[in-house]
Amino acid sequence: MPYPVRIEKAEVATTDKMLKTFDLVFLDKEDEDAFQYEPGQFAELSLLGKGESPIGIASSPTEKGFLRFTVNKVGLVTQTLHQMKAGDTMGVRGPMGNWYPYEKMKGGNIVIVGGGFAFTTLRAFIVWLLDPSHRGDYGDITVVYGARNPGLLLYGDELDEWAKRDDIKIYRCIDWKFGPEGPIEEASAEGWVPINMKAPGETSIPAGQSTFTAFVPQMVEAAAPGSENSWAIVCGPPIMIKFTLPVLTKLGFKPDRIVNSLENRMKCGIGKCGRCNIGPKYICKDGPVFTLAELENLPKEY
Amino acid sequence: MAKLLEKSKVDEFLKSFGEDALVLCPVEREGIVFFDVPSEGESITFDFANTKNAPKAAFFPQSECMYKYGRKGDVFEMTDTGYDDKPRVLFGVRPCDAKSFDILDRLFVNKEFVDPYYQAKRNSSTVFALGCSEPCRTCFCTSVDCGPFGTDGADVIMTDLGEKLLLEPLNEKGEKAIASLPDAPEGEIKKKETIASEAEGKIASKVDIEGIPEKLWEIFDHPIWEEVAERCLGCGACTYLCPTCHCFDIQDEVMKSDGKRVRNWDSCMFPLFTLHGSGHNPRTKQGERWRQRLQHKFNYYVENFGCTACVGCGRCIVNCPVNIDIREILGKVKNAEKVAVEEGK
Repeated sequence: MPYPVRIEKAEVATTDKMLKTFDLVFLDKEDEDAFQYEPGQFAELSLLGKGESPIGIASSPTEKGFLRFTVNKVGLVTQTLHQMKAGDTMGVRGPMGNWYPYEKMKGGNIVIVGGGFAFTTLRAFIVWLLDPSHRGDYGDITVVYGARNPGLLLYGDELDEWAKRDDIKIYRCIDWKFGPEGPIEEASAEGWVPINMKAPGETSIPAGQSTFTAFVPQMVEAAAPGSENSWAIVCGPPIMIKFTLPVLTKLGFKPDRIVNSLENRMKCGIGKCGRCNIGPKYICKDGPVFTLAELENLPKEY
Repeated sequence: MAKLLEKSKVDEFLKSFGEDALVLCPVEREGIVFFDVPSEGESITFDFANTKNAPKAAFFPQSECMYKYGRKGDVFEMTDTGYDDKPRVLFGVRPCDAKSFDILDRLFVNKEFVDPYYQAKRNSSTVFALGCSEPCRTCFCTSVDCGPFGTDGADVIMTDLGEKLLLEPLNEKGEKAIASLPDAPEGEIKKKETIASEAEGKIASKVDIEGIPEKLWEIFDHPIWEEVAERCLGCGACTYLCPTCHCFDIQDEVMKSDGKRVRNWDSCMFPLFTLHGSGHNPRTKQGERWRQRLQHKFNYYVENFGCTACVGCGRCIVNCPVNIDIREILGKVKNAEKVAVEEGK
């Protein structure tokens, strides 16, 4: 049965109003203590009378007292959730799934590549990494995060704060505008410096600049994070992943060092109802985090 | 110690399990034999090859309430409705269906997560398997690690000796269940041995599944799946009647301020099964869905749980409205040529 929780905060997260961030607080301290989770896991948000939705946990376990979820308005449950406000109660079932393999990544550099609203569990991981008790265990942290326009980037305030830090490199990017002959090589919005569109790898990045105009794969190429002793985590729409993977490969990342978080239609979340599988693996309990090497061994059923 | 039970005394024996026990057995209703709780006036029948429905519903009902909830003003309250552990006696389960319990146990009750709804019913049940003296032509149990007198998943195995039944316990639970019955004389036990060995020989249908899991990996992208599913209507009859199919859906049912969350059988043959909220569906074609069913039963389940999720009961063959025969398809799979994996997607 789900744990009862109260909505503490409900804020629209993007300018198109399709995403809302919810901070949830447990009604029972015992439940809060029982809900021990790791960055990368998800939970089923339970609306009694409507149903459940599996949503990635956007908060890090280092942030005590609440759970943060950023939810896209897609169907019956999420639509109802969007209409709810602070003070309303609902349920949370979880935590479920596996998590980003931070143990294996210790001592390495980390490159985080996100697109659109797939950034939710990536936020969880970044906050976790930046926590003083963990930061020392890892090398350079590079974040590339892109969306169609500035209003669709999540957690803008936090990204601004992180951009000011010297222990993490942030590259935010927005899509090129399109003219009759293709993408136009100029800033799509004020302050969003265009990279070298024809040869992204040759872009010279002005010091301290963290906002650019580029497609995510090009931004990764421009940022050129080193692949030596590095891990890449890639989360985003299929088209972004499709074009980012070759860039990472070009930069020297091997499939067992590229990590993805997948999604599929889910119900039970614990590998019994048979719905979310890719081959013999259930995305709910054997995933959602998989390395590219693991995915290459599974049928291409997605 | 083997026991004997006169068929005329079966009702009395079943009543001896008490008022509280739920008894399920083969009953005839308008010409079709079902495995169910006998209603008023119904009694057990021994005149059948196999029941229309699989007995899995005893532990995994078609629709099951998981918990209830209600609204009091602005606050929701959830009510734990507990787990049904009423003792059940399943009397007259064919060995293939009994084996299905063993197969389902590996999924529902394992080290990772235990399904308490299934487990409660399973633990409080006693399974009396009834050996098949006359298997039918669509049975292929011997090809999938079972047999007409197989003992997996059962507590007692019975043999039909005409006017009487021979009951042999398979474990402690079985021994206790039949302790009150008279011992069976040596002669009757010998009769059973003859019937059992003859029955094995009567299974006419053989399917060679040696190497099928590896083969299924090799031909994942083969055009054979489109061909196989061309006739398939996606009606789901195979999944609903199959003793080992276990996919389910969870839905909320609400009446005014009260509701419950229920678990219902679902089928991978339906397009909605894997439809994403975004509208994307990883399995848009019936061929892909059919592939999932076969891969799941003969490949993934083997990898995950060490056994094939098929007991050779033949229900899918008998009931498919377009005569798709899983044995024929397994044969095609066996002979299909390996296909190079598609690059990228």
